[in-house]
Amino acid sequence: MSRSEELNQQMDINGIEKEKVLMVGAGGIGCELLKTLVLTGFQHIHLIDMDTIEVSNLNRQFLFRKSHVGQSKAKVAREAVLKFRPGVEIVAHHANVKNQEFDIDFFKQFSVVLNGLDNLEARRHVNRMCLAAGVPLVESGTTGYLGQVTVHIKGQTECYECQPKPAPKSYPVCTITSTPSKLIHCIVWAKELALAKLFGDKGQVSDLDVRPTSNEDGAVSNDPDEAQFFEVRSGENSKAYAERVFDRIFGQNIVTALQNEDTWKARRRPDPLFLEKVLTEDDVVTTNGVCSSEGTISASASLGLKNPQETWSVKDNARVFLESVQLFLDKRSKDVGKLVFDKDDQLAVEFVTAAANLRAHSFGIPMQSLFEAKGMAGNIIHAIATTNAIIAGLIVLEALKILSNKTKECRMTYCVEHPSGKMLLMPVEMAEPNPRCYVCSETPLVLELNTATATMREVLEKVVKRKLGVTDPVIMQGSNLLHESGEDIEEDMVAYYTALLDKKFVDYPTPITTGVVLTVEDYHQDFRCSLHVKHRETFDEEKEPEGMVITGDLASLNNTDASAQPSTAAPSKIQNGHAEEEEDDDVVMVEPVPKAATAGTKRKLEEEDTQPTEKRLRVTESVPIEV
Amino acid sequence: MAQRNNKYDRQLRIWGEHGQTALETARVCVLNCGPTGSEALKNLVLGGIGSFTIVDASKVSAADLGNNYLVDWESLGQSKAKSVCALLQELNESVGAKFVEESPEALLESNPAFFAQFTLVIATQMTEAPLLKLEEICRQQKVMLVIARSYGLAGLVRISVTEHDIIESKPDNKVEDLRLHKPWPELQSYVDEFDIDTQDHNIHKHIPFAILLIKIAEDWKKSHDGKLPANVRLFKEAITARRRVEEDEDNYNEALKSAYIVLFPPSISSQLRAVLEDKASDVDASSSDFWIMVSALKQFMANEGQGEPPLDGAIPDMHSFTDYYIKLQKIYQARAEADVTAVEGHVARILKQIGRESSPIPRSTIKLFCKNARNLRVLRCKMLSDEFSSRSGPELQRLLAVEESSHPALYVLLRAVDHFAATYNRFPGVFDGEMEEDVSRLKSLAVGLLNDMGGGGASLPEDVVSEICRFGAGEIHCVASIVGGIASQECIKLLTRQFTPIQGTFIYNAMSATSLVLNV
Repeated sequence: MSRSEELNQQMDINGIEKEKVLMVGAGGIGCELLKTLVLTGFQHIHLIDMDTIEVSNLNRQFLFRKSHVGQSKAKVAREAVLKFRPGVEIVAHHANVKNQEFDIDFFKQFSVVLNGLDNLEARRHVNRMCLAAGVPLVESGTTGYLGQVTVHIKGQTECYECQPKPAPKSYPVCTITSTPSKLIHCIVWAKELALAKLFGDKGQVSDLDVRPTSNEDGAVSNDPDEAQFFEVRSGENSKAYAERVFDRIFGQNIVTALQNEDTWKARRRPDPLFLEKVLTEDDVVTTNGVCSSEGTISASASLGLKNPQETWSVKDNARVFLESVQLFLDKRSKDVGKLVFDKDDQLAVEFVTAAANLRAHSFGIPMQSLFEAKGMAGNIIHAIATTNAIIAGLIVLEALKILSNKTKECRMTYCVEHPSGKMLLMPVEMAEPNPRCYVCSETPLVLELNTATATMREVLEKVVKRKLGVTDPVIMQGSNLLHESGEDIEEDMVAYYTALLDKKFVDYPTPITTGVVLTVEDYHQDFRCSLHVKHRETFDEEKEPEGMVITGDLASLNNTDASAQPSTAAPSKIQNGHAEEEEDDDVVMVEPVPKAATAGTKRKLEEEDTQPTEKRLRVTESVPIEV
Repeated sequence: MAQRNNKYDRQLRIWGEHGQTALETARVCVLNCGPTGSEALKNLVLGGIGSFTIVDASKVSAADLGNNYLVDWESLGQSKAKSVCALLQELNESVGAKFVEESPEALLESNPAFFAQFTLVIATQMTEAPLLKLEEICRQQKVMLVIARSYGLAGLVRISVTEHDIIESKPDNKVEDLRLHKPWPELQSYVDEFDIDTQDHNIHKHIPFAILLIKIAEDWKKSHDGKLPANVRLFKEAITARRRVEEDEDNYNEALKSAYIVLFPPSISSQLRAVLEDKASDVDASSSDFWIMVSALKQFMANEGQGEPPLDGAIPDMHSFTDYYIKLQKIYQARAEADVTAVEGHVARILKQIGRESSPIPRSTIKLFCKNARNLRVLRCKMLSDEFSSRSGPELQRLLAVEESSHPALYVLLRAVDHFAATYNRFPGVFDGEMEEDVSRLKSLAVGLLNDMGGGGASLPEDVVSEICRFGAGEIHCVASIVGGIASQECIKLLTRQFTPIQGTFIYNAMSATSLVLNV
């Protein structure tokens, strides 16, 4: 008797070799999962992953070797497993799971979908596809020693979105552009503004640019001269360019900002940094001519700064800044104009570290090492092989229960770091669907905005896409189409929608104001929900900077703690990266609420009034690490 | 170097450079490389241990191809140890790889000294008798031992070490030690610089909450005979009275949230107390650095610390102007440094007393120790031979009676199957025809075992007994993946000396997705 038959017998299942399963994600969990599925006897597996292999994957994604760096994860994983077990059918898709090709019919062919994803957006999308196709979903995530596996079956258990998923951490624009108080603010500035200004897509409208007051203190402002300033001038070499930019963003812009006396009345005034003062004649930048380390172009290698854990001096930060700008122009010119920050891009990390540290220094904020700065800039999630192996085993066991129709026995399992209450694995019964979930039930939402100024463009960006996770929205007012996206829309309709995009809501043919119900649909996701519009004049600039608030059930979903403000769409705050770059593989933070009772009883009681103890486990997506 | 740091970046963020170095100097031995052993080792090789040695006498069979990813068709009929070793080597070329084509049982007899070369031994799928022998050897030779077993849908992980000292136990709920209840002079004089009733609203809402709490507690004491508020509610009312509602002050929100720490400052945890009271802290020339530092810690607490361990110097994020926050941070850090210096002084005096001046303990080590002083842990494991003796019978009997889960029964039965194997030369349930007889044979062996341990009279659930028989000693890949994963995770905790490893016997039941750590 083969091992898989043995297992089949013990689990009372027949013919898992006939079942067809879909794996989404071929990263840390994915590699383990593919191996475990095959060794459990699964014969038909589809695998979707849009990523390519990075060096930093190799400490856990064991199907990949150094020689595979840069290749498709899905394809290499497939080949690696087929080499060992040639008889299995594995179909690899090197693609985004949100692509139209993976429609509801595509999902319907599978008995179960297994997620090993690294970002909230894709998780939400797969959740909706599974709900629409009526296919059970096993969802998973790990961070460091922590991990979790959950099961989602339409109508029987809660869906992935029945529980709150905190929005990524965001910062008010003025904190980033004018009054940073922590290193993370400087890092966000370096990554989202400085890097984007110098090497990013110039046509891309950044969050900063749409903000009317962003010029006031000119940290990186948006007037046309400014845009031109960051172009390389004819005849200018990379060194001259780097020096000119240095003086502008760390020197002149701070001088300009200082003129706004009001800002500095109660604050420490920043010190402008000009190159001639930072690096004296004796400190000329000397490079050793080796600007790469094992094939990676690196400014710190070029400058001989070997220890990534050491905090550079101001002079060294200035040197790294200049050197990294020059290396981008000289050695990575094909990336200039379209560069997007990537935590695995050594030179980009060096640029961001140096720029953030220099800015921090001028604002009197302590600087940090490359290693620490990289962690903050990339929102890097800890990841190790052990947890992924455990989680993959648990995913397969849950899948087997689903396939043997023992869905009642399915559990949501948490893997914890310290065996609390004597358990290392904590199984919890799956909860019922949340009747107020706007995804798996038809609960309406309330959208508060100023209808005299709000436009469809804003609502689409700030609410529909970012907040509701809709990919291809269709907006209707009654039976009137107000917006559609996609390829095969009639030209006249496109023109009509475009005309409506920037129109104020009150100026619509049928004005959109209090009492109007908008329907949001995504045909691809088979998603639909209603937004009840409510007019409101004013919004708190600090807490609701985007000027619109989505409340009702969505808000109560997003607020577990009573003191929290109504949930707001994130936009005109600057996020530390976009959803997809937010996280490394295998995220999802597990936070078991019943804490190990190490604190004294008295303290415990005291804590309770600020931290309500819930019976169930609270799951939160990780937010960036702040130091 | 750059490549190494990139490759290990995601884990360096968990256990740091020093944790990685500890892994890279570890020599690990794995006994038996079935799926459980192979999976455990795979995870450690990916993490970058120094070297490994596989001990396994078996040849690759067709069944192995069905449950072990680290053997392939080409190696059918060849040494399993050799095949697994070669594939693991591919996973991480910086790890040293060796194999010994011999059974662990034979090696234990022929060459017990073999094990002395390792930092840690992982014994997988081994039965009771050879494990007892192995443990004795490992204890003598100061080698850490991790036992892992997958048995059908059940699993077991057990650590055996004489003593394991942990400085960085990294508990989930870190205690914030801010000393707001008794600010030292430097902190007090900084607090005195503030006027928390300032009419400048902007300053009012940017005073760090730590300063607010000290000030408001101080004011309360002035008007209440030097006493702090009787409860947190009263203190919170006093805080609320000072805030300006119209200003929406986040620093006051933080102060309210942390109000309790003034009234209930962190106490000495029971674990730390146990460490301080441990006999090993009466040091002599043979004592380890850890215990010398514990001894110095006791002296510090009795003198400079006035009952408190050294300050760790970390402060939480606070809503504040940057310069206030940084000044505050510097005051805490300076105090932490001063505490380290004081402890360093005690360490030096102790070293002198025991005649060890020539080999001092580096300040960096003392600093790490002081920073984590509140969370020190010492793990001592019972020997298997003690656990299997009559002393643990009554506890098992109690657990079998009170535990609703199947774990205590599984624990007894996993031992009983070894006795079964010793008696019948095979595991129960491997022949379908004898299933029923095996169930009753196994049951009577298990009952006998309980009787021998003084736990007679306890009942074993019928269904668990037949389930164990049905497993027929099979090693199923997904269970092996979980059990091997947990075993390797514990190995990492032991090797890096970070986090607290499992204390007791971890029993996993895949059917119910439950686990339990038993202490018998």
